[in-house]
Amino acid sequence: MRHQSDRLGLAFLTPALIFVVLFFLSPVVLTAVFSFTTMSTATGISGGTYRITPSAVRSAAEKGLNPATAERLSQERYTIDDDALTRATKAGIDAEILKELERDLKGKSTDDRRSFERLLKKLDNRPNRRQVKSISPHFRTSILNQSFEDRTTLDATLENLGLDAAERARVAETSYTGWIWTSANFRRMFLQPDTYRILINTIVYVFTTLVIFNTGYAMVLAIVTFYLPGRQATVYRTIWFLPRITPPVIYVLLWKWLAWDTGFISTITGWFGVASRNWMLDTSLNAWVFVVLINGFVGASMGMIIFSSAIKTIPESLFHASAVDGAYRWQQVRHIILPQLRWPILFLTTYQTLSLLSSFELIFLATNGGPGSATEVWSLAAFHLALSNYAGNLQYGLGAAFALILVLIGITASLFYLRLFKFSEMISKPRIEH
Amino acid sequence: MSSHLKTWPLSLFLGIVSFPLVLMYVYLVIDTITVTPPGSIIPEKFTLEDWRFLFEEATGRRPSIWSVTLNSFILASANSIVIVSISATAGYALSRLNVPFRSFFLAGMMVLHAFPTVTLIVSIFLILQMVGLYNTLIGVILVKASLLMPFGVWIMKGFYDTVPWEIEMAGVQDGASRFTVWRRLVLPQVQPGFLALGVFAFLDGWSEFILPQVLAPSSDVQVLSVYLAGLIADEFYFDFGLFKAVGLFYSVPVILLYLFFQDKLMNIYGGGSKG
Repeated sequence: MRHQSDRLGLAFLTPALIFVVLFFLSPVVLTAVFSFTTMSTATGISGGTYRITPSAVRSAAEKGLNPATAERLSQERYTIDDDALTRATKAGIDAEILKELERDLKGKSTDDRRSFERLLKKLDNRPNRRQVKSISPHFRTSILNQSFEDRTTLDATLENLGLDAAERARVAETSYTGWIWTSANFRRMFLQPDTYRILINTIVYVFTTLVIFNTGYAMVLAIVTFYLPGRQATVYRTIWFLPRITPPVIYVLLWKWLAWDTGFISTITGWFGVASRNWMLDTSLNAWVFVVLINGFVGASMGMIIFSSAIKTIPESLFHASAVDGAYRWQQVRHIILPQLRWPILFLTTYQTLSLLSSFELIFLATNGGPGSATEVWSLAAFHLALSNYAGNLQYGLGAAFALILVLIGITASLFYLRLFKFSEMISKPRIEH
Repeated sequence: MSSHLKTWPLSLFLGIVSFPLVLMYVYLVIDTITVTPPGSIIPEKFTLEDWRFLFEEATGRRPSIWSVTLNSFILASANSIVIVSISATAGYALSRLNVPFRSFFLAGMMVLHAFPTVTLIVSIFLILQMVGLYNTLIGVILVKASLLMPFGVWIMKGFYDTVPWEIEMAGVQDGASRFTVWRRLVLPQVQPGFLALGVFAFLDGWSEFILPQVLAPSSDVQVLSVYLAGLIADEFYFDFGLFKAVGLFYSVPVILLYLFFQDKLMNIYGGGSKG
């Protein structure tokens, strides 16, 4: 019996686990992996090739490649090898000459055209001037702008050019077009001054929204609607619930209508002679006010619901008794309601700190971090770096490093909830089999 | 509550602070059916001009509204179906069955439920590119459903927890297997839960913006949120009346579902959705 339940339980759980592992847990792990790579639009996400571009040679030289070697890489060379002989045969070069080249000079290579042509002129076949001119292009090779599928072919070619192992490694490093492992993302993140600006923005945003709306105003809503007659209370609760159920794109559109230069506020202030302007984006302060309002109006509803249901659990007799004693409403709030809200407030604060830290959807739609980067918060910065920036080169690796910080905060905070809200008490053992 | 205390100051206070919100929603409707001259807030005449987008064919720049709506509908319904059907079994397993590592799974679901999912968007984007599901509706559905899954399982577990044990005990005593007991006796008990979670997941999929915007931006798989955001971001085509008409069209299902299932939804949202 017990065995049967074990198997059924696993079977019942498996589909959910597959979904969660594939598209929830693996992104958690891979965020960490990606943050240690140089992945970007330029490198692509699959592997790359080795491409000896002039700039790759230059940066290899900057990193200490012997200048003479670098010079040799950039130069054209004339090499007598199978490839070149085949090319020449196909082009209809005199077979006798080629035969002789293959027999006597195969594997030989010269650094410039003149010495190659001198070789040709010394052949027994004595090609004439015109023939020499037509032969030499087929033997010209240059490693510049060539692509190599893997390290082995690259190494073989470089070895032919006489590069030693250290030099080969240096060229391979600078010519690789794919992504590589690195810890530079974190160094950049901690060193660039923008990061601190973003950090401060994030703290200001989370703290202000949380204190004013998500807990403060939510409490006001819950308490005030508690004292209002039933119908009125329902109307107000419904109104304040609207921002949460309205799709974010429309919700932010409504705020834009309020704030834009042809919008409601501009129209009203226009009657008093104020020049119309975009109230949401004209100053940093205004942008912050709107960001906090937009997020706060959504955030308030969750607190309103949680606080309202907490207040409902208070025995009515307590209120009647205090009313008989002539208590003012404020005293009821202070001595009866607020003590009851201690746990809900703690829950909401911890929970919504995390939500606010990571939510960027509304800010993205409203100010997109502007004006300038005045309202750029951490999660939006990660999004901008990795998935949406004007420069066009999306830095997946660096964006993932920014996201990883939030992921780590998320994991820590979630584990903290488990302890804080006494998770073990929420589990009851199955009662049919023991 | 306390009858000797006046309520009108409270009502007045809420009325004032709620005013901007009410104003925005009222004008959402008004602006789509009227023309308001610049510099005024009083509408001048009635018009349905803003609704012409309903009859426009797809152009190179914009897909037709109906194909976009269909995509939104597919995303929302698929999200709802996947979440409900998978949470139905997983929630039961975690609530009632003797699964190995049960409390580990429960704690895991709870941690994931509190976990801020948008932070994963960067790696999800890369994963979908690697497995070839980028720019497909399937990819968005799989990701959306997976991210909502811990929440759904947790909510369904809550519904199963309220079913009296006696029902199952009786079934098992009569010799029925646990599976039969679940299907015949327990499932009918949690039907309200299915309904609530299903509606919630539908609305959640319908409203989703960031995931489709990042994971499926191309015009043949565009959903309404991405379409509307694209309209608003288009600097050469600025028309608040049109934006609002599309917005109202987009929010009609939300409003209807909300009016019908208000109490149930409030319970679920109070159970802690994001934001």
